[in-house]
Amino acid sequence: MAAIDRRNLLVASALAGVGALLPALAVAQQAEWPTQPVHVYVGFPAGSSPDVLARLVTEPLAERLGQPVVVENKPGAGGVIGVQQMLAGEPGYSFGTTINGPLTTSPRLVPDISYDVQNDIAPVALMATAPLVLAMAADAGPADLAGFIEAAKADPGGIAYGSVGQGSGAHLTAELFADAAGIEMLHIPFTSYAEVTTSIIGGEIDAGFMAPSAALPQVEADKMKMLGVTSQQPFAQVPDVPVIAGNAGMPEDFRAELWNAFIAPAGTDPAIIDRLNTAINEILQDPDVQEKMLAMGWKAEGGAPADLAQRITDDTQVWGAVIDRIEAAQ
Amino acid sequence: MTTLEGLLYGLTVALQPDILIYCVLGVVMGTFIGVLPGIGAMAAISLLLPITYYITPEAALIMLGGVYYGAQYGGAVASILLRLPGTPQSAVTSLDGYPMARQGRAGVALFASMVASFCGSIIGIVVLVLLAGFLSRAATSFGAADYAAMMVLGLVAASTIGAKRPSKAFAMVVLGLILGCVGTDVNSGVARLTFGRTELLDGINLVALAMGLFGVAELIGNITSAERKGSPPHVSLRQLLPTRDDLRRMPGPIARGGALGSFFGALPGTGSTISSFLSYAMERRISRRPERFGEGAVEGVAGPEAANNSAAISAFVPTLTLGIPGDPIMALMLGALVIHGVQPGPLMLEARPEMFWGLVVSFGIGNLLLLILNLPLIGIWVSMLRIPFRWLYPAIIVFVCLGVYSVRGSGFDIAAVAVIGALGYLLALAQFNPALLLLGFVLGPLIETNLRRAMLISRGDPVVFLERPISAVFVVATLALIGSSLWGAWRRFRSGPAA
Repeated sequence: MAAIDRRNLLVASALAGVGALLPALAVAQQAEWPTQPVHVYVGFPAGSSPDVLARLVTEPLAERLGQPVVVENKPGAGGVIGVQQMLAGEPGYSFGTTINGPLTTSPRLVPDISYDVQNDIAPVALMATAPLVLAMAADAGPADLAGFIEAAKADPGGIAYGSVGQGSGAHLTAELFADAAGIEMLHIPFTSYAEVTTSIIGGEIDAGFMAPSAALPQVEADKMKMLGVTSQQPFAQVPDVPVIAGNAGMPEDFRAELWNAFIAPAGTDPAIIDRLNTAINEILQDPDVQEKMLAMGWKAEGGAPADLAQRITDDTQVWGAVIDRIEAAQ
Repeated sequence: MTTLEGLLYGLTVALQPDILIYCVLGVVMGTFIGVLPGIGAMAAISLLLPITYYITPEAALIMLGGVYYGAQYGGAVASILLRLPGTPQSAVTSLDGYPMARQGRAGVALFASMVASFCGSIIGIVVLVLLAGFLSRAATSFGAADYAAMMVLGLVAASTIGAKRPSKAFAMVVLGLILGCVGTDVNSGVARLTFGRTELLDGINLVALAMGLFGVAELIGNITSAERKGSPPHVSLRQLLPTRDDLRRMPGPIARGGALGSFFGALPGTGSTISSFLSYAMERRISRRPERFGEGAVEGVAGPEAANNSAAISAFVPTLTLGIPGDPIMALMLGALVIHGVQPGPLMLEARPEMFWGLVVSFGIGNLLLLILNLPLIGIWVSMLRIPFRWLYPAIIVFVCLGVYSVRGSGFDIAAVAVIGALGYLLALAQFNPALLLLGFVLGPLIETNLRRAMLISRGDPVVFLERPISAVFVVATLALIGSSLWGAWRRFRSGPAA
């Protein structure tokens, strides 16, 4: 025992010496990192919107880091598989980009999820946000948002809206909207926006919260109209569509956005996270990157890791409340 | 712009040397990708996407389109030679193509599949040019009730294909329906039959299922059977050529398959796998000698191949006329256009006529190239059978794993293909037909989601299935089909147990 104690003492004193050196080491490590290719896990297939968005950031990121950045597409379970794969990767070289779902609503909605957002995920930076628009067929009755809410109030449950599945962003947004407007609508789940669009144009269902880029071509062809957008400010891709917040009696703070963020496993060296955050913010300032994101329906964002952490907390709470109401209604 | 002017204009676009090169590149790549088991157009197109940033949007779309329909040609090859479907939609082709190959008629089967693919594509192109407007209106007027009723008819019509005993056929369809339930339920968000695996939340991978049931199961079967250990039958050049009887049997199935495929291809969410199944079922139903099916009937190759190729062409109808992608591959191609700043949608025909007509003409050129490319290749493909199995099989296993992994980069799926392969082998031993399992798996989720959606929209009133004219027609046809089957069974029963 005594021998062990002495050894421990030795180790402890050696560690004390190392401790003094630690700041210097951290700097050296930061200067050296990365010494090998960096992996970025994306929970959606190659060529999908989250994937293209990730690549818009990872390509210039590779230049800044001086190491290849390998995008690993691990689709499944609404992006959850990608986050799980990232957490299984090598610390310091395993990162991810993800949409909001896996960080906010999935822990509530997806069974057998293997991570805890607060304890396992280190936010790096918010990359982009995208609002949804409330779309209807061009020949539908209501002319504007006020008309829509009025029609819904006159006939509770009479308006059928499409989403891309139970618990999807489109579903939760519609329920958040319905609650704020004090209306009741009938939810019809589909598997893709393509089906929702066909169904609205064909007159089978009445409305849907959709990505602006999915609705826009139909609006231009006079087959659909957009009654409102869920962002706080008008969205550059559809500048003429009024924001829902503060309109037709809706609360001023109404906001429902999809977002895409760069994340790391918890326990990643804070110096590395800082360096990534700085690089990503620089990339997001590039007008060319901003323009390409906008063409796909995303607004380039940025900000500190703490801002993203706040966003995760806020949205988890907002959407958690919506899920509570949906579950209570069932 | 009239149709003729459009086509002439399209020629000037599609015949530009650089665009022609991308078209050739696309179809050649498509053929080989189709031949390789499991590696489908989806994986190839997503790999090619970054390249398309550097070429014009017309060239990009024409190249990616070439990969898409080119893969339909290649898919039949391994399906016929080795019962190893290169793509899930060519699984049906193996039902009669593989028996033909084992009878030493591999060349004929390949010839039939190539010619049927070409003719099916041409039918698809004609439909696309003449009926695009009609089909896109039809696509939007198809509601959930119509889809559900149509798929039920399809399931009932096809549920007896390739089965010796109705009870065994029924068992396979039901097993397929159950496997189709695995994953997150769209309506409630509940995870069904996932056994705590997040990998199963999106369901069983269709490619893994098709590769396992057909390819891997067949390999296991061949390893254990003494018969195939010897050298494969020698195929003379003469046997590559179809007989007059073969040629006489082909036009009907091709025409019907082509028409069927161009209809289903245009409906978002249905696609080419279903059209090849239904074409096979239809040929078997209307044949005067249905017992030949499954034993090497050339109609069973020609019909489905024409159907899946015409479906691959008409799948562009909703994409080009409505800006609505009918399947995930189309969505990828639309994504390629968006990156170029081309907004696909109902106005594309007017706003970007060079895109629409250039693509349409390139379909014609591409398919002609595919026919010219593939007919001489038949000899080479058939000679593949002469490769000793101890070399061929390990290579095939590697390709199957690569192909399955390419779908979503999941190691779980590779384990799944091994398990499904073992299951497929057991099913084959017990003389169950795996094609029916695949049919249930593909149609089941479509029937379920559309049925429940129709009931939700009608607020729980089942009369909706009879109120909507399209749906009513399918319901009546389904009942008539069941009635005629029962009547036939009753008559056989009355005439004594001779059969």
